[in-house]
Amino acid sequence: MAFTLPEGDLNERLERYLEGFRNRHGLEESEIEGNLVRIVIEPSALRSVLTTAREALGILHLSFITVVDRMGSFEITYELLDLRGGQVRVKTTVEGEEPVIDTVTDVYPTANWHEREAYDMFGVAFKGHPDLRRLYMWQDHFDHHPLLKSFEISTKRTFENLR
Amino acid sequence: MLSEERRTEQVSLGSRASARLAGSDIRDEFGLETLDMNMGPQHPAMHGLLRLILELDGETVVRCDPVMGYLHRSKEKISENRMYPAVVPITDRIDYMNNIAMEYGYCLAVEKLLDVEITPRADAIRALMNEFGRIMSHIPSVGFLMLELGAFTPILYAFRERERIQSIFEAVTGARMMFHYIRIGGVKADLPEGMPEKMWEYIEGLESRFDNDFVDLIEGNEIFRARTRGVGKMTPEKALEMGLTGVPLRCTGVPFDVRKHYPYGWYKNLDFDVVTDAAGDVEGSYRCRIGEVRQSIRMIKQILENLPEGEVMADMGRRLRPREGDGIGRVESARGEYAVHVVSDGSDTPYRVHYRTPCTVNMQLLQEIVPGHYLPDIMPIMGLIDPVSGAWDK
Amino acid sequence: MSLDILNQEPIRFLLSFGVVLFLVLNLAAIFTMAERKVSAYIHLRFGPNRVGPRGLLQPAADVFKLFTKENLAPSRADIWVFLAAPIAMFLPAALVWLVVPFAPNAVIADLNVAIVFFIAMTSIGALGLIMAGYGSRSSFSLLGALRGAAQMISYEVPLILSLLGVIMLSGSLSLVDVVNAQAGGFWHWYFLPQLPMFVVFYIAGLAEARRVPFDLPEGESEIVGGFMVEYSGMTWALIQAAEFASMGLISAITVTLFFGGWQPPFEFLDLGNFNWFWFGLKTSILVFTFQWVRWSLPRLRMDQLMDLGWKILVPASLIWLFVTAGAMLLLPSVF
Repeated sequence: MAFTLPEGDLNERLERYLEGFRNRHGLEESEIEGNLVRIVIEPSALRSVLTTAREALGILHLSFITVVDRMGSFEITYELLDLRGGQVRVKTTVEGEEPVIDTVTDVYPTANWHEREAYDMFGVAFKGHPDLRRLYMWQDHFDHHPLLKSFEISTKRTFENLR
Repeated sequence: MLSEERRTEQVSLGSRASARLAGSDIRDEFGLETLDMNMGPQHPAMHGLLRLILELDGETVVRCDPVMGYLHRSKEKISENRMYPAVVPITDRIDYMNNIAMEYGYCLAVEKLLDVEITPRADAIRALMNEFGRIMSHIPSVGFLMLELGAFTPILYAFRERERIQSIFEAVTGARMMFHYIRIGGVKADLPEGMPEKMWEYIEGLESRFDNDFVDLIEGNEIFRARTRGVGKMTPEKALEMGLTGVPLRCTGVPFDVRKHYPYGWYKNLDFDVVTDAAGDVEGSYRCRIGEVRQSIRMIKQILENLPEGEVMADMGRRLRPREGDGIGRVESARGEYAVHVVSDGSDTPYRVHYRTPCTVNMQLLQEIVPGHYLPDIMPIMGLIDPVSGAWDK
Repeated sequence: MSLDILNQEPIRFLLSFGVVLFLVLNLAAIFTMAERKVSAYIHLRFGPNRVGPRGLLQPAADVFKLFTKENLAPSRADIWVFLAAPIAMFLPAALVWLVVPFAPNAVIADLNVAIVFFIAMTSIGALGLIMAGYGSRSSFSLLGALRGAAQMISYEVPLILSLLGVIMLSGSLSLVDVVNAQAGGFWHWYFLPQLPMFVVFYIAGLAEARRVPFDLPEGESEIVGGFMVEYSGMTWALIQAAEFASMGLISAITVTLFFGGWQPPFEFLDLGNFNWFWFGLKTSILVFTFQWVRWSLPRLRMDQLMDLGWKILVPASLIWLFVTAGAMLLLPSVF
């Protein structure tokens, strides 16, 4: 697989990305904000959207995957960079306490450890992941996912009484 | 909690050891079997606490499985339970070789949510200290690479420079390692009187010492070349696929630098080159690091030549309540693209902070390129990635 | 003379053995100190400077500390092999000192096969290494021992080949004869006609003494000490003593074979019975070069080490062997 880094004017390129996503997929929201294309999609469309980003639009780099526990649903952010000033932020929301979402390791192989980390910290199960082990926590006899809001820590403080 | 059927099979020992535990025969047709070796977590060349489960065929590595988490301090959970300004010292402890970039990324993210304007002088001082931080991290990296190849002397020469830069940091920030200098809205304090002149003097001395003592000791060495050339060889396609950033990506010839392509702060005003090397092996990464130190010296000189005057802290309220939404601060740390994703719900504390540390991502490389190399080649490959224990474990 | 009784056989043997042990153990201490000071000055440090005047009593403090430390052994180690290994490494390195001529008439045993004795004894050192690696039952130790065995066996070949030139020139296997054949100024020393052989011997000697860049059996950055990773206290100290003794030994043998042993560089500098001064001076300079190399160079990899030994050193010494033989045949008047 050869690679080409994108060239040309940033705004035109962002328009192209946005059009590319709009033409191929049903998006819930989409906008351009500065150098950022922000799109919100259904979780079922995730793999096809990222495949479009990689194969059709040539966005080469998956920067990170952030999971946010919204108490009852999980908001998952995929941050993509085209390495030349353009940013694409794909957001999706998975309902329920035990989220399952498709893996993107075959589209972006770097997602391997990002997804392992998300599984470790939030219990998000990535369907089809080749090696879904915990990344940081103990492999055995540890049944918690520490970044869930329901995981209480002993030193939790509130700042209600401060000025 | 995950129910049992949703949890994928957890293989903690690796397929071979599980096969042996299950009682199956793992010998080949000559009746030989490979050797399992557990390298680390307490190992002098593991850059902290990393455990590699290796399968060796003689001296050749057949399988390499990194196990992390021995220095996991749950920075993300701690950050969720602190007020915004109090997270800055937490970020200091992530990458303890290059702390200043860690603070910078977090402050950028929060400032995006707060919509504050940073004064030019604060921006310039941030970039100045950031470049000092990069030198402070790159020179010992090369020293560690040499230490892992068996030469003990360069690391002490490297630490001589690091100590001196630490003294500069001590004069500016008050601390030698955990600075807590870049704050949300600016920097903690202005440079002390006479500091720019001292920095200039130091940088001039560094240039000559760097070339004469340090690079000369390493570069012409035949054994260094034999040990690094062609070791850890990878193609740019592979590097992009693995999501590498920083020196491991640039040493394959892909010019990507957050400072250049996603400019932040004072870097818009600076003139510098993105150092790349076509080799894509350990020697290429060494040349990249040396080149980047030279670029940092160039940038520091540019900043010192026209340092803007003015305040160093933006005017903000005492209690920070960023707007709802998510802010991303992305900086080029000494190890690659470091991004902080702050999700705010409008209260005093961040709702969620995600640190994208370059080390974690770059270390996926170990699984991919170590098999096929000799056992002693693991150490130069670690030197290519140059991970820091605190950064990969968070 | 009443002292003649000391020269009678059993007493002479016991005395000489005591002298050799005393010498080797002290040499190990002195070399440790020298190593630490040399490395310190190369590193722009001061090195040990607290115990005694200018830190000179540091070796004594080290030895005292090591004596008081507990000897730990892994619970599943083969304990007898584990404990015998340091002795098996130390004794060969110490015994070769018996044949080294320190000064005129100051050699403990003037064997007529001293060079063969030297080769045989250094080969036994590999046995101790394998015992240490096997006995401590650790994969790191095992890898170190295997590396060590391969390295010492393959470097034995260039070591022996590079000695042949000297043997041919002097016509004797006795070290005393070799030294006597180099009398009369430094231009008679064998390092001039045998320069390639000297280089090969020096490199092979570095490998025999397991010094950087050939310290693969230890390889502290990858296999963390290799064969001696499980040793502690006095057993560890004995291994260290063996290493330093063999470093001194290789230097002393190099001086004897290629630099005229105790022969002064010019004849008017002849000190008679005090010619051991020249021997000591030359040996110290060689030991210093060993340390200099140690603190400047990185380590080779195993395959590169084997390449260097078999593809460069062995052919080089063979070629110079034929050159020497041809020269001796064609120009008998010179030799």
